Formats: sequence, structure tokens, C-alpha cells
Amino acid sequence: MALVDVVDAGFAYGARTIFDRVSFAVSPGEVFCLIGPNGCGKTTLLDCILGLHGLRAGSIRVQDCDVDSLPAAQLARVLSYVPQKHERTFPYSVLDIVTMGRAAYVGMFAAPTQADRSMALEALEQLGIQHLSNRPYTRLSGGETQLVMIARALVQQTPVVIMDEPTAHLDFRYELLIMEVITRLVKSGLSIIMATHFPNHAFYLQNSGVPTRIALMHGGDFLAVGAPDEVLDEARLKKLYGVNARVITLENNGSKPMKHIVPLSSA
Amino acid sequence: MTRKKTTILYIGFLIAPLACIFLSLYVGRYPVPVGDVCAVLWNRVWSPENAEQSIYANIIWEIRLPRALLGTLVGASLAVSGAAFQGLFRNPLVSSGILGVSSGAGFGAALAIVLFGTVAAVYPFALVFGMLAVVCSYLIGRVYSVTPAIMLVLGGVIVSSVFGALLSFLKYVADPYQQLPTIVFWLMGSLASARYSDLMIAGIPMVIGIVGLLGIRWQINVLSMGDREARALGVNTGLSKAIVIVCATLATTGAVCVSGVIGWIGLVIPHIGRMLVGNDNRRLIPASLSLGACFLVLVDNLGRILTGSEIPLGILTALVGGPFFVYLLKKTKGGDW
Repeated sequence: MALVDVVDAGFAYGARTIFDRVSFAVSPGEVFCLIGPNGCGKTTLLDCILGLHGLRAGSIRVQDCDVDSLPAAQLARVLSYVPQKHERTFPYSVLDIVTMGRAAYVGMFAAPTQADRSMALEALEQLGIQHLSNRPYTRLSGGETQLVMIARALVQQTPVVIMDEPTAHLDFRYELLIMEVITRLVKSGLSIIMATHFPNHAFYLQNSGVPTRIALMHGGDFLAVGAPDEVLDEARLKKLYGVNARVITLENNGSKPMKHIVPLSSA
Repeated sequence: MTRKKTTILYIGFLIAPLACIFLSLYVGRYPVPVGDVCAVLWNRVWSPENAEQSIYANIIWEIRLPRALLGTLVGASLAVSGAAFQGLFRNPLVSSGILGVSSGAGFGAALAIVLFGTVAAVYPFALVFGMLAVVCSYLIGRVYSVTPAIMLVLGGVIVSSVFGALLSFLKYVADPYQQLPTIVFWLMGSLASARYSDLMIAGIPMVIGIVGLLGIRWQINVLSMGDREARALGVNTGLSKAIVIVCATLATTGAVCVSGVIGWIGLVIPHIGRMLVGNDNRRLIPASLSLGACFLVLVDNLGRILTGSEIPLGILTALVGGPFFVYLLKKTKGGDW
């Protein structure tokens, strides 16, 4: 059974069509990457799956229920969300922020219980950042903030996590760290739908042995959908980004050969 | 903060307003010995049927007590709704009057004074126009649906300026010897005429508003993550925001229609709370409640003993509160605020 089933979805801001007749399904325990240039509609598509925008055409079903018909609390028990850029406001403690992930399970006039808090602490531990729990989250680095956002999504205890460019604005090490976290989560049985700017992330996930499928988004449509090594080739990269690139295979001391894209010049 | 420290702080927040109320029974132009204050309270509470009709009893029970109770409610209402709005609009510069309540209520009160020449119709008019202003802001905010929070603030600014202009117009046409001074003094705010009947009329919206905000206070934390994230976290943002706005509006209008426009409390008391207990609304809302109540009662006491005639609240809140705020900022170094 598909956890998320997008059928012939279309969306437009006014007269400007963002995407049209887009279809895909996400099964348990796989990563689905949306890849495409800036402004191609990746974030809008994710917003539609999260029920933030209504579709112009087609349907999005989550666990066999139409997204638009689900109340926010129900939807938040199936889909959790790691935003691209979290706008920090008040300096809540990290633990308070992560505990907010329990909002779908806490009544409107109630507050989270001790059990909710220990669940939040567990999530922080799982990501190796329990030492941050009492720090004001406005003073964290970008990479730490991203881990906190992932922890918040984990305490929502959803089968699907939606990530919008989870490694944007991160340094070299944190980028790798987040990709490792994603790998671990998928291997533990979660499904992840993520938008990414970096086609190499798709290869990274595939190289790590995670069931990975990607969709190349171009001109409001999917150029191709499939496993990274089948779909990502030099011709498509040129069409997608207008970039001349080479896909190379790295022999890594006896372990499985790894594929990697090296950009050469803008066409 | 350790658990023990938190408990002590909470007990302090509970006792402080009661202490302020008791103090205000003792303070005033007419000296009443502390022993008599206790005696009057004791007699009234335990044997109300044969209460003595002394001048002490009259001053304490009929004049100072309702005034102190109303002050407590007004201060608490303004501070709590200010804190709630700051969280909801994710903006620490927002105050309880942000959606135009104060200007609407001010206009309503002035209209009542100009139309009827007395202060009698001020309550209903202030109440109705305060609510009307918020409804207008809300409708303006809904015209454009992508970023409702910022549009609501903008709606509030527009509505405030319109009602501000209308208020100026009323001042311009008002009778300069009778009505104009009444309007001006009303706007400066005073609890001097407080009676139990005021407490009954204006107290109801204030209590409903405060209780509602106390109930929903954790969800204000989640709402302060912004609409997108709050929804993805499972909050029915439309409904929750509406509840916060309705409660804060009830509380603020109730406060404004008895005591005039005391804008300052709703902005600064929540910040004093943030310095003391942090930004988590689970602690901040009760802290603001207590601080707002204490602050207004104390300022009201000052207003009636400093000079021969009473100093309006609107003037003293800013004069006393401003330096106190700076002192606290220096003392706590802002904390994590």
C-alpha cells in the first residue's frame, strides 16, 4: 500500500501554472527525492502534500484518505515536516521546541505531559544532541537547528517525514551528518519525501543502500522518475539545469563503486 | 531554572497580587489603621448580615476594594492579552491594542460622551466599538490569504489610524468646556469611579478572556512557530488563532472600557515576564497575569497618594514603568530574552 499517493496533481498561483499532471506514490521505507532547479515547484508540491495549498486538479491521498478532507491533527500523525528555513522567533529551549512535535496528540486546551517530554528527550538522544536540550534554540548553529527540527519531526511519530532542502545553508560536515541521519531513519523503516538542490544526494542515498527513487522536475512536469543511476545521466542534467556535467564512478577501496556527478560548465 | 526555584516563583506570583490588593485597602487620602482594615474584612466575610456601617467599612468595602479588584483585573487582562498577541503574531513589539481595540474603544467612549453628555453610556459604546475595530482588522487581514498574521497586524494599524482620526474629529467638534475635558480625562485612564457594578459588567469579558488564554497558552507556543509549521505540527490554525484573538479582545475591551486607554501595560509587562520566567507561554501567561495585576494596583495607589488630586493612570504607568523596565533590563541582562 502506498503511504502517499499523488495522482495527476496540478497547481497554479492565479494564472501561473506551477505543476500539472504530476503523479507518484511513496511506499514504506523508501526515499523519494524531488530534484530540479530553483523555482521549479518542489516546495509548492511539498506544501500541497502537507495540505497547506489546495490542488487545482488531481488528488493527493495519504493512507487512502484525501489530504483536503483530513483535519490538521490527523494529517500530522502521518506526515511530519522539516522546513527549509525555520524562522526563529522567541528563544524557547530546545526541549520545548522538540516537545511541540507532540501538538497533534495534545488537546487544544491542554499541555504536553511528562511522557511527551521524555519522548522529546529520546529523540534528541537518538540524534546525539541531548546536550543541547536546555539551550535557547535561537543560539544554535544552522546545522544544530536542523537536527532539532528533525528531532521535532521524529516525536510526531509519523510514518512519513517531508523534508524541504534539509541541507541548504549547512556546512560541509553537517551536510554529510544530515544525510547520514536520513539514511539511518529510512533504514529504520521511515519513508522520506525530500526536495533537494543537489543531485549528488540521490547518489549518496543509493550508494548507502537505501531504496531511493527520484523525480526530475522540469517545467511543471516530471522529466523522469526512477532509481538515481537509471535516471540521472549527462543528457538529462543538461536539460534540467543547463549544465555540462560528467557522471563518474568512484572505486572506493574494494567497497561498492560510488557514482558521483561532477559539474564542468554551464551550457 | 531548578524545580524548587520555579515553585517559589509561582507561589510569589500567586501571593503578590493579593498583597497588593491588601496594601491598596490601607493606602489613600483617608488614613485607616491596619488593624481596622483587617477587622472590616473579617467582619464582612464571616458575618456579612450584621456588618457595621462605619466610615472605615464604607471606605474599605465600597470604595477601595472594588477599585483594587478592578485594577487587578484590568492589569491582568492587558498584560495577558499583550503576551498572547506577541506570541500569536510572533512579534515582541505587539501590544494588546494591536488589532485596534484601544482606538475603537476610545472612539466609542468619546462618541458616548459627545452624544449623551454623560459618562453613563461609555461602557456599552466602548465595548461595542472596541470589538468592531477588531472585527474590521480581522476582515482586512482575510482579504489576502497567504500571510494572514502580518496582514492582521497591518489591518490593525489601518483600523487604529481610522479610529484615531475619528476620535480627533470628535474632540474637534466636542463642547470644549464640558465634553472635551471628559474625553481627555477618560482617555488618560482612571479607576477612581470603580464600583461593584463596573466589576460585574466589565469583569465578565475580562474573566472569560483571561481564562480562555490561560487554557490555550501552550498552543500559543506552537502558533508562534508560524502558520505553516503550526499546521504541519497538527494545529487547526484557523480555529486556534480565532480563539486567541476573541479571548484577548474580550479581555482588552473589558479593561479599556472601565479604565481608559492604558496602552503601555500590554506591551511591557509581558517583556518583564520574559526576563523573569522565559518565553514559554505556559509560564509567561500566568507570570504576566500576576505582574500586570500587581503593577496596575500599585500604580493606582501611587496615583492617589502622590498629589492632592489623582494622577491619571495612563501618565503614571509609563512614568513608573519605563525606568523600572530599564532597571530590570540592566539587572537581568535581559536573560535569554
